[in-house]
Amino acid sequence: MSNLLALTIIWPLLAAIITAFFNNKKNTVRVMSQMFTLINLALVSVVLFLISTNGTIILETGSYEAPFGIVIVGDMLSITLVLTTNIVAAACVFYAPKSLTEQQESFFFYSFFFMLISGVSGAFLTGDLFNLFVFFEVLLMASYGLIVLGNGKAQLRESLKYVLINLFSSMLFVTTIAFLYSVVGSVNMAQVSQRVQEVEQQGILTTIAMLFFFVFATKAAVFPLYYWLPRPYIVPNPVVSALFGALLTKVGIYSILRVFTLIFVGETDLTHTIFIYLAAFTMIFGVIGALSTNNIKLIVAYNIIPAVGFMMMGIGIFSETALSGTIYYLINDMVIKAALFLLVGLIAYVAGTSDLRKMNGLIHHYPVLGWFFFIATLVLAGIPPFSGFVGKLLLIQGGLAQEEIMVVIASLVSSLLILFSMIRIFIRGFWGEKQDAPPHPERSGAARRMTWPIAVLLSITVLLGVGAEWFYPSVEEMGEYLMNPQIYIDSVIKE
Amino acid sequence: MLLAVLLPFIIAIFIPFLSKWKHKLHTGFFVTAVPVVIFIYFARFIGPGFEPVEREYSWIPSLDMNFLFYLDGLSLLFILLISGIGSLVAFYSIYYLHKSEQLGHFYVYFLLFMGSMLGIVLSDNVYVLYTFWEFTSLSSFLLIGFWNHREGSRYGALKSMLITVFGGLSLLGGLVFMSGITGTASIQEMMSQQELILNHDFFPLILTLILLGAFTKSAQFPFHIWLPDAMEAPTPVSAYLHSATMVKAGIFLVARFLPMLSVSEWFFIIVSAVGIATLCWGSYMAVRQTDLKGILAFSTISQLGMIMAMLGFGTKAAIFAAVFHILNHATFKGSLFMIAGIVDHETGSRDIRKLGGLMTFLPITATLAVIASFSMAGVPFPFLNGFYSKEMFFDAAVTMDLSVTGIAATLQTLFPYLAVLGSIFTFVYSMYFFFGTFRGKANIDELPKKPHEAPAGMLVSPAILVLGVIIIGLFPDLINKPFIEHAASAAYGSENVKDIYYWHGLSPAFIMSITVLVFGTILYLSIPKWASIYNAVPGRLSLNTFYDGLVERTERYSTIITNSYMNGSLGRYVRLILVAIVVVTFGTMALTGGFTLDFGNVSEVTLHEVLIAVVMVIAAIGTIIAKNRIAAILILGVVGYGLAMLFVLYRAPDLALTQLIVETVTVALFLLVFYHLPNLEPHHESSLTKAMNLIISVGYGLLMTMVAISAHSHKMFDTMSSYFVDNSYKLGGGDNIVNVILVDFRGLDTLFEIAVLGIAAMAIFGLIRLRGKNKEE
Amino acid sequence: MEIIMAVLAGTLFTTGVYNLLQKQLLRIVIGTALISHGAHLFILTMGELKRGAPPILTDGIDQYTDPLPQALILTSIVISFGVTSLLLVLAYRASKINGTDNMEQLRGNDYE
Repeated sequence: MSNLLALTIIWPLLAAIITAFFNNKKNTVRVMSQMFTLINLALVSVVLFLISTNGTIILETGSYEAPFGIVIVGDMLSITLVLTTNIVAAACVFYAPKSLTEQQESFFFYSFFFMLISGVSGAFLTGDLFNLFVFFEVLLMASYGLIVLGNGKAQLRESLKYVLINLFSSMLFVTTIAFLYSVVGSVNMAQVSQRVQEVEQQGILTTIAMLFFFVFATKAAVFPLYYWLPRPYIVPNPVVSALFGALLTKVGIYSILRVFTLIFVGETDLTHTIFIYLAAFTMIFGVIGALSTNNIKLIVAYNIIPAVGFMMMGIGIFSETALSGTIYYLINDMVIKAALFLLVGLIAYVAGTSDLRKMNGLIHHYPVLGWFFFIATLVLAGIPPFSGFVGKLLLIQGGLAQEEIMVVIASLVSSLLILFSMIRIFIRGFWGEKQDAPPHPERSGAARRMTWPIAVLLSITVLLGVGAEWFYPSVEEMGEYLMNPQIYIDSVIKE
Repeated sequence: MLLAVLLPFIIAIFIPFLSKWKHKLHTGFFVTAVPVVIFIYFARFIGPGFEPVEREYSWIPSLDMNFLFYLDGLSLLFILLISGIGSLVAFYSIYYLHKSEQLGHFYVYFLLFMGSMLGIVLSDNVYVLYTFWEFTSLSSFLLIGFWNHREGSRYGALKSMLITVFGGLSLLGGLVFMSGITGTASIQEMMSQQELILNHDFFPLILTLILLGAFTKSAQFPFHIWLPDAMEAPTPVSAYLHSATMVKAGIFLVARFLPMLSVSEWFFIIVSAVGIATLCWGSYMAVRQTDLKGILAFSTISQLGMIMAMLGFGTKAAIFAAVFHILNHATFKGSLFMIAGIVDHETGSRDIRKLGGLMTFLPITATLAVIASFSMAGVPFPFLNGFYSKEMFFDAAVTMDLSVTGIAATLQTLFPYLAVLGSIFTFVYSMYFFFGTFRGKANIDELPKKPHEAPAGMLVSPAILVLGVIIIGLFPDLINKPFIEHAASAAYGSENVKDIYYWHGLSPAFIMSITVLVFGTILYLSIPKWASIYNAVPGRLSLNTFYDGLVERTERYSTIITNSYMNGSLGRYVRLILVAIVVVTFGTMALTGGFTLDFGNVSEVTLHEVLIAVVMVIAAIGTIIAKNRIAAILILGVVGYGLAMLFVLYRAPDLALTQLIVETVTVALFLLVFYHLPNLEPHHESSLTKAMNLIISVGYGLLMTMVAISAHSHKMFDTMSSYFVDNSYKLGGGDNIVNVILVDFRGLDTLFEIAVLGIAAMAIFGLIRLRGKNKEE
Repeated sequence: MEIIMAVLAGTLFTTGVYNLLQKQLLRIVIGTALISHGAHLFILTMGELKRGAPPILTDGIDQYTDPLPQALILTSIVISFGVTSLLLVLAYRASKINGTDNMEQLRGNDYE
């Protein structure tokens, strides 16, 4: 049974290898990829079901007992995120054929895509710090492959910066793991946690903790490390942007969440207080960025940052409610960011431009697109009863319970500005004088087919909001679980 | 009851289908049925023996978010207003909106609004209340933007949304705060533990947050500026949302929390001062407007201010008057909006400068208008309901006798005067509205259409409302006992009963009414003489200018701020990131005492190792200094080979081998790539940049070194490696422990390490081969 | 010796970062290479130096150098190699297509 867990990482790897051989057969590779994605989705759902009924699954790879071998830890948090990843992946894989050029498809798009999924899933599931580094590299390498796909001028320019920044932070990552290994003599997260608690997280460990934070925060785009993010995210194809926006920063956030609830919890007065301040700055500066531009893709890309701020807020507040809020927000944000990137990609496609100043009255020709965008805006801004609200409510509750007034006010202000930054697109792009014909009439057929994946993603966010009762109790358990790292340790290390 | 609230939403889903037949039958007919049904359903509750009803339907119990409905007198008053006026407005809209309009959209938004508004007034659960609250803002946004091809419509929609959602979010903060303190999401239960909230350290903050929500929604000064621009919406919407119902949501909220909040003196100061200020400013500004709907918008603002002020007084009489006036205002203002709509519809203009003398052309409309506007002015006729509540307002202002000191006491003495002042202007604009439109000289030629009386269907709704004005005026007891009393008691928190009379004798309030009448008439007649005062106040310093500036500046400064650091320069990004890492980590190290230097646990220093190290350092610095590109690459190779030698010395043969191969290939690749690149212009850096770069890089290197040394000095546990040594052969079947770890103990790492190489290969292949589309090649 | 090695690795980081902050693309790539050398040296140093024989099981020896950091370094070297190769090709293509190898001229505000 526990081997099924590994299959959720290995299956995309296999899919990547298989699709690589069919890169010239356009139709075959499409159908295959869609099949593989759906199978993986089913597989992950089964694993999720197993975990939710039987509890955390620990897979000791090669049957070497923890902490010596690499363990894969399938707890509810990890597997839920893997499932969300696969949902996003499924939406993207069905959107891709209409969105990509044939050339992009034939230059291993699907292989990179599956490797990205594999890397992201691996990062969510692994219980080993060095293995986490390896999965980071897998997903980064896949993202390098995806971001350069197409070889445009701007694309190469921005990719270069993206690769350099990530390379820099990867090297910091591996060095920091070495420092930690020197102090506690282990790279297994459970054992590290145990040992860090045993020595009451001495000063050197807190210092190392901050280095870990910076490593992950660079990926997660927390203030003041997010500079690299917005531009590289909008240069590739919308599918790639959607995958990046939905998954990459979230892996960073997940890592912070995991490491700072499991391992470094001895100096929360210092570390987590820093997080709260950074969270507030992240929200405000991110949304200021979103207001600064008229490029609709860039507006969405900047909106990744305040969402990161929200999630950091929960980690900083560090209570059951707040952590549940972070998790709920995380799940919601993965889905909605994917939907939004696909949406603005499609809007730019039908409008023939991503410059808001050149758009007008699109809703008269693309009403569905317009209303989808409107709903997506509400979800993003956290208007009830959509899913963004649930996470935000919990975060505010958690924040007020600890009287962290400053960050709560920052979160409310940024909610308003998020709404403003997004509704501008609706008002200026969709509303307005009805044109006689849409800008590119020939594109409406493809556009209709590209709308379906977005519809699925949006219905999930609506379901996550209106039907929160079906999801929240298990998220609440995850929050409780994160506050009690001993459960994790005991499930991995059996004395 | 849940069904009643959800009914509009359910019907809204079917509207897009119904509107397909709109050419046969106007969609409005279906829609009118909805509020009528709701009205009848709730009208059953009216009666002297009314008792609050509570219903609970679960939705998200684990978040404490349930449809907890609490129907007391206050909610009942609002529900009947929402459904009653809703029915009339829906019916009116059938004649107002032509079938060629996007009726489907209109009625969907309309129903969304109606359902949400019902939700607000019924919800006892704060989160559900907030949900509905935001939904009214959204549907208002969509309705204002209904004619979105107009610039003004888009502008007004955005403005109303930004201001009301701002208030909504602030309300959310306040509600969550209160529910956190009391541990419940039910308003009733919160109020039963009011000491917890009132004595909380953050009570002033909570009060501010809640009031911001109420003030923005109810268009109180200085947040009122969105309401005049909301007049871009179709007139039925203005009548419904922007005068009778939605803008009273803020009033409702304050009334709902009144029994608890009014204990605080700050509540009195803020609410009544803001209310009075709104009353005076709104009525003053109304006289300046030229658009009929503009007059009505400011008039609504001032009337809302008056109600808010009465709630702020918090006395028994004031609250009773407030509740009574909510109803009265809805009747006369609703009908006035519909009349403005009729005038617009029949003449094609709402500009009061072009209108005039319409009495002869629209006699019925004019009759309705005179009653409604005189009621609004508070003219002391027994058949005008506006007079009753206006006089109660004066009465409340004069008889208010709170034992307060300081600012509150000053305000208390000032209020009666301000009340009269505001009412004088109210009188002026009421007269201005009626006489300007219907009397005077008719200039038919300037109007886009030739005026004639409206169709009967259009007159029905305003006529019913005007009839309401008269009936309430003549027979106030008809609604008092079964209805108003319950609402007033609910808002006051305990029994609040009063008899409504026309004649009170020569009370101060009556004298105030007469004062208003006299001065109002004088002022109205002399408008041309003093109207120039508007050039000075507000002149150019209006709040609108402030809002526009704020929005425009938000975008402009966002651009400036963002572009100041997000300039696409990699060097800038890396510098900023490094500074953050170095400063925060050093800070952490200093705060936690993380640095320790321990020489006890180090291996001996040998000369040849030191020599290698020195060579490597020199080579590393050489990469910076070397001018020639090839030289720099070769020097980099020296560092790599030096590292390989260290690997040999430090007992890592596998590493040394790998490093040698990798370094060789890398150097070759470097040479290959940079040999092919054209030689480009030299890159000069200013010495300041150089110095900055030097400081940053040294800082980072120093940080890493110090953490490394400290980490090495803190070896607190045995490493896990003894396991590998013990089991390498036993479990892994190999002598080379490193190899066994790689392929066996940590085989997963290696599998994915190979995968990384594979992807890299594919990506490189793509980079080299995929260039067909690029024209610059 | 560990302290000297830590200083050496720190110097590699310093020079690496300094190169990374240059404008010329070549220097930047060299910078990343130096940083990875530094990182690998740090890992090795953290595993304690010269505390036993090379980690290859030999009869009669029971004191070996810590093998785990070596395994980690090996993995890391291979990954860095992959990334560096990609980076080199990318750098080549990007500078060719944009006609400059000056990173400061690769700011850009067009995204199409």
